Amino acid sequence: MTIMTSLRLSQRRVRGALTLPNGVLALFVLAAITAPVLAPQNPYDMLQILGWEASSPPGTMSGNGYRYLLGTDGLGRDIASCILYGLRISLVVSVVSAAAAAAIGLTLGVVAAYFGRWVDAVIMRAVDLQLSLPTMLVALIAIVTLGPGVDRIIVQWATYARVVRSVALSEAGKPYVDAVRTMPLSHGRIILRHLLPNSIAPAITLLPIEIGHAVALEATLSFLGLGVPMDQPSLGSTVANGFQYLLTGQYWISLFPGFALFALIAAINFAGEDVRRLWDPRSRSL
Amino acid sequence: MALFKVISGRLYQAFLLLVVMSLIGFVGIHSVGNPVYNIVNIETATPDDIRRATELLGLDQPLWRQYLVFVQNLATGSFGTSYIYHLPAFELVLSKLSATIELAAFAILIAAAAGTGLGLLAGTRPGTLVDRMVVIVTVYALSVPSFWLSMMLVLFGAVMTGWFPSGGRGSTVELFGWEWSFLTADGLKHLVLPVLALAIPNIALIARLARAGTVEVQRADFVRFCLAKGLSDRHILFRHTLPNISLPIVTIVGLQFGGMLAFAVVVESIFAWPGVGKLLIDSIQLLDRPVVMATLTFVAITFVALNAIVDLLYAVLDPRVRISA
Repeated sequence: MTIMTSLRLSQRRVRGALTLPNGVLALFVLAAITAPVLAPQNPYDMLQILGWEASSPPGTMSGNGYRYLLGTDGLGRDIASCILYGLRISLVVSVVSAAAAAAIGLTLGVVAAYFGRWVDAVIMRAVDLQLSLPTMLVALIAIVTLGPGVDRIIVQWATYARVVRSVALSEAGKPYVDAVRTMPLSHGRIILRHLLPNSIAPAITLLPIEIGHAVALEATLSFLGLGVPMDQPSLGSTVANGFQYLLTGQYWISLFPGFALFALIAAINFAGEDVRRLWDPRSRSL
Repeated sequence: MALFKVISGRLYQAFLLLVVMSLIGFVGIHSVGNPVYNIVNIETATPDDIRRATELLGLDQPLWRQYLVFVQNLATGSFGTSYIYHLPAFELVLSKLSATIELAAFAILIAAAAGTGLGLLAGTRPGTLVDRMVVIVTVYALSVPSFWLSMMLVLFGAVMTGWFPSGGRGSTVELFGWEWSFLTADGLKHLVLPVLALAIPNIALIARLARAGTVEVQRADFVRFCLAKGLSDRHILFRHTLPNISLPIVTIVGLQFGGMLAFAVVVESIFAWPGVGKLLIDSIQLLDRPVVMATLTFVAITFVALNAIVDLLYAVLDPRVRISA
């Protein structure tokens, strides 16, 4: 490939990435980072909240001198601020737990392929069991046995393990692995420094899509009261807070945070599709 | 004989795994919280009351003895007695089953019909406006968190318009020893919103699958041959294209039906639908251990059984599977 064509290709990739959903996603990340500056109110600081302004409809002026653009919830917290702060928690929790799930899954998958025999059998049966059940059910089982908590999203590790194992199996049979095996290196070093880097690419394209799943799962668990603690509301628990007010027509408490959540998940899903298209040569021509 | 050996080996592994899982699950569930505090009135109970309640539930026994009792209950299929309702746990799950089944069955029927229809519609016209609309709208439909979708259905279908009730099952009729809502007009009205909440993401999922399959099959030689033979478009679509895209659709219908038994947790909580999912969430929050164990086991086994049924359906639908087996 000449320099010109590769340049043109990368140009096309850059232009391909400039889509509306990616722009929305970038805005979300930016909003999450700058939340303390953007938000008129810190919804965790009880001193900044005026209790008598609870359940104000969107557009009401606050006694603190700013406008409640999206209204307030049952405790008097500004919904717009809740969304900005909730965005931080949702994003951090899901990125961290999706990364942790990837790390666990990748390691176990490579270990299974490298050692084979009973190690492989034990790990892959666990993967089979987990993938044969809906993620939600596995998350609930984890919550029941380990107690509530948002880190239970790590249950998504199994997909990575299966994908990386299939690649690592064929890598492990190659001469370079035989070569490093003859050297006085520990198994851990061979796996981490030689086998893993060569097997990781297909599994890594799963990451964005799994982050999207993690955002949805975190929100659902928080909605059910089994996720983040109530004094640190994520987008999901903010929506949940509004449920009891929904029936009396105070729609704004759950409508706006839910819409933000929906837009976030949709943007991540579109970005995930892009990543897969750009990284996976088989689907690039489509 | 070799096949028998493979199957029995797999079953043995699965059984071993289940035993280990039940042990881990049992120890895990017994290390979370103390259910006694949900049973006695925490404000008026004396230490003596708490001690008596603990003894009554058998929670004063050492853990290994509790596990033996649990295994004994498991073998007799009762899963023990609910701490809260004082009924056999498995019976309690079964009594809630009809509510979940009618919800999931209606949702999956609607999703299969509408999803396949949309997929065929889009797949036979690739690149057109209709096709692009279906592709984009389905991504959005799959991104909506199910609890928010349910709440918006409540908001627009019940609170603002008053067309449908916002929750509950309405009046029911007893048939085969179970209560059913869909047999009464009032019950049907109560079914509409929760069924929609469960069906919409699945319509999108099935439509995407059906579209991808149709696009592929429409390019195949046998379809061109049918066209050359002078068959009508309708005939080709329903007699030749549809059977060829049915395998992935059947798979996903089976999986999603099983998934609904688990995912109905969210929809059932929002619509106050007294099914298995709501029982599970209530029991987790009240630490009603026997009911939690019974529900999770039941849902997991149902899901695995549905997978097996889907595998069997392959042989019915696809002659190639039948011949090679």
